[in-house]
Amino acid sequence: MDKLVEFIARNLVEKPDQVRVRQRRYRERTVLHLRVAKEDTGRVIGKQGRVANAMRAVLHAAAQAQRRPDVELKIQ
Amino acid sequence: MSVQPYEFTAPTVDEAIALGLQELGLQPEDVEVQVVRKGSRGLLGIGRTDAIVRLIPRHSPAPTSEEVAKPAEPEVSSAPSEQEAPEGPASDLSASQEELPAPGPAQAAPLSAEATPSPPPPLPSPQEIGQLARDLLTEMVDLMGIRARVELHFLDPDQGTEPVIRLNVVGDDLGMLIGRHGQTLASVQYLVRLMVNQRIHRWIPLIVDVNDYREERAERLQRLALRLAEQVVSSGRGVALEPMPAADRRQIHLALRDHPQVYTQSVGEGDRRKVQILPK
Repeated sequence: MDKLVEFIARNLVEKPDQVRVRQRRYRERTVLHLRVAKEDTGRVIGKQGRVANAMRAVLHAAAQAQRRPDVELKIQ
Repeated sequence: MSVQPYEFTAPTVDEAIALGLQELGLQPEDVEVQVVRKGSRGLLGIGRTDAIVRLIPRHSPAPTSEEVAKPAEPEVSSAPSEQEAPEGPASDLSASQEELPAPGPAQAAPLSAEATPSPPPPLPSPQEIGQLARDLLTEMVDLMGIRARVELHFLDPDQGTEPVIRLNVVGDDLGMLIGRHGQTLASVQYLVRLMVNQRIHRWIPLIVDVNDYREERAERLQRLALRLAEQVVSSGRGVALEPMPAADRRQIHLALRDHPQVYTQSVGEGDRRKVQILPK
């Protein structure tokens, strides 16, 4: 899951080398923390959170495909 | 089935523009609008015509940091309202500031040369762009843990226009990639477009499909539209379809746009928006 977010985020930003994803697993869910260069924040959030929500939809589908607990994405 | 990614039809010019923007995933400032035909309400519903607009995307519509809600720092009180967000937890701009490993000294570096390549590279050919898009989608699907392959096709919407890149993901059991009403598929397409756009700095017409879902759905919707239109004509009473996303509504509008006896209109807001088929 972290690799998936990292891949997408790196391909959306101007500074791919500053993309960091940290994954935390809990019993019922996995939480991913995505961090990008400050000026790239907008690129991974999007207007009205559109990009972030698209990534969430993809993560949700991936979790289903892998029969894994649902994934939460936080952007900081 | 013809694909015309630029032209949109609705009862009024404003609705047609809104529909197009929603479908293309663009904001008003990202496109140039040409009104092909102004709709007219007709007299007492007679002689009514739909409006047709053509949307020409401006280059590089990718959102930049400034256009977006400012918060690079957590901003607890005002999460941006999500107009048409798919289900799921609200956007989490107010993420916790926990112990992330400091992302290295590069963080402090000012805009470096790498961010702005000086000589503009030659424009890649549609084939190269298609290949790039396919590679990106293939890797994405792969990282999702889904076994599938991605086919690359080119569609010619009209002579003289740029071909539309069509990526079709083929495999077994790909329902989760489509999602309810194709919402996940729409997200995948949106992300692939953004990734390609970020690479070549240009908006390109691109469609992502899964096991020909979009194509089949378009045909199903068109058949449904024609069937319902017949019903409306024979009963003399209008019908409303169930709420559906913009791309689906568009198929209904398109299927009936030249119908002699009925016309269509969309009513309702957001998730509740649906098409009505009404006698002329």
